[in-house]
Formats: sequence, C-alpha cells, structure tokens
Amino acid sequence: MSACAGFSAVSCIREQSTGAKTLQRERQLNQFLAEVERRALRIAEIGVRDRDEALDLVQDAMIKLARNYAERPDNEWAPLFYRILQNGVRDWHRRQKVKNRVMVWFGRSASSEEDYDIAANTADPAGRSPEVELQTQEAMQRLEQSITELPGRQREAFMLRTFEGLDVASTAVAMGCSDGSVKTHYSRAVHALRDKLGDHWK
Amino acid sequence: MNDPGKDEQIAGQAKELFDDSVERIDAATLSRLNQGRHQALAELQRPAAVVRWGRWIPVTGVAAAAVVTAIVMRGPAGIDVIEAPAAASDFEMLLEMDGLEMFEDLEFYTLLDAVDADTNGNNG
Repeated sequence: MSACAGFSAVSCIREQSTGAKTLQRERQLNQFLAEVERRALRIAEIGVRDRDEALDLVQDAMIKLARNYAERPDNEWAPLFYRILQNGVRDWHRRQKVKNRVMVWFGRSASSEEDYDIAANTADPAGRSPEVELQTQEAMQRLEQSITELPGRQREAFMLRTFEGLDVASTAVAMGCSDGSVKTHYSRAVHALRDKLGDHWK
Repeated sequence: MNDPGKDEQIAGQAKELFDDSVERIDAATLSRLNQGRHQALAELQRPAAVVRWGRWIPVTGVAAAAVVTAIVMRGPAGIDVIEAPAAASDFEMLLEMDGLEMFEDLEFYTLLDAVDADTNGNNG
C-alpha cells in the first residue's frame, strides 16, 4: 500500500519533499558536528580544565545548534556553534565562581582544577618512543597551562583562530565582537604565548 | 618587538600539538561524543510546534503555580465549596486508559447485563 494512502496527491508530494529535506539537513548537520566535535571538546576542555564538564558543554552546544539554527545556511554553523560553546564556557566559569564562594564559605576546598591531568585523558601512544611521548605531553601541558593563564577574550581568539582555523570574520561572530577586536586579542595572545613559551620552544 | 615569522611559528607549533591531542582522544570519550551528536540530531525530528510551545512550558508552569498559590493564600473567602458530583469522578475515571479499554469491551458488558437481567427475571 502507498505511504500516501488517505492523503491528497498534493499534500502527499509536499510531505515527501519536506521529509527528504529534513533528512538531507540531518545528514549535513551530522557531518558538520562529526567534523568539529573532537576539536570542540579539546577547546572546551582547555577552557574548563575538566573533560566531563567539557563533554557536557559540547553536547549542550550541539543540541542548541540543532534546535535553533539547523535551518540556517551551513556555512554559518561553525561560528554559531562556537558562539554557543564559548557562551557555555563563560557561564560555566561564572557558576564556578559562585560555587567556589559558597564552598569557601562552608570551609571546603574551592577548586578541583589541581586534580586535572591531561595525560590521564589521552589515549595510549601509537608507535612513539617513550621519550618522544613524554616530550609531546610535557609540551602540550605547558601550552595548555599558558593558554589557561591568558585573559578570557585572548584565549578565545587564539583557540578559535589557531585550533579551529576560523577566519577573522567568523571568529568575530563566534566571540560577539568586531573584526578589529579579534585581531587585537589574537595578536596579544600570540605575543603573550611567545613570552611564556619562548624558552621552551625553538 | 613584532616578529610575524616568530608569531606564525608559535601558532603553527601550538596547532601541531593541539591536533596531536585531538587525535589521541580515547575511545570512551569518542563514544560519548557520538551519543551526544545523535541526541542533538534527534532534535530535528521533533515537530516545530512541540519545540515552539515547549519553550513556554516553564513559564506557564510558574504562572499556574502562582495562580494556585494565590487561590490557596486567599482561601475560600465566603465562597461555598461545591463538591464534585459522583458523576464527575466517574467521568474522570473513564478518561483514564483503563476506561478507554472498557469502552472497547462495551459489547461484552452489554451481553453481561443482558445475561444478568435474564437470570434475575427467571429467578424473580
């Protein structure tokens, strides 16, 4: 029996066309999210220094993008997605500040950031000597620490431009500021990192 | 002092390390990312009206709670409380799932009634 039994021919064609469009949109969004999810996780992780929290933030951003912006042109998805994610990271820091204040009030330890260990969150090395592995891990730890110490806007600009590869205009959309501000924040971030890492990096 | 070459080198090295750390994300984390992505894609299957009206659920919930609180705070204030007649509670019961199933078996209950009437008639 036809899937359109009980419907008029026009409404049936409309239903099928809408269904095909939704399916195509779903495929495109799936491809986009699959492409960005791992980098987004690491960017969020550097932002909050906690993998579980970062996973929650990335999932939240994916859901919000699908719910609110799936119909937007797919070239707008990356800046929108990172804007949602960065807002999530900022909100997370605000909540942490309040939480820490409450914890200090009750005489408990204020932050668990010291417990964060990047090596514990990475897969086993593949085909590398232990020395190379150790050097890579130490370099990444130093880099993460240096990025964490940057002011928030500089950190965002650096990670979006360098790690995600967004251009200035897309970074500006993601950060909710002007192109000029992005250039300034990025330039300051690179100089600060050069000062911090200069001794360790050739 | 500005040195574009050195800046690019720093950014390049940072990107290399970052990409390396992305490649080394463990399988359990990748699986959780995958689950999260499918949960997000499920949002596309939800009818737009549900999503649109769903946003108002918390607002309407709060508004309803406020109205109920206001009524409770004010009390009966001279208004006679009318108890719902028995028929109303019966109707409520019929609207439940069990009630709907009972409607499906209506023919059976009609037969039972007829049998009862016959039995009573023969006995009486």
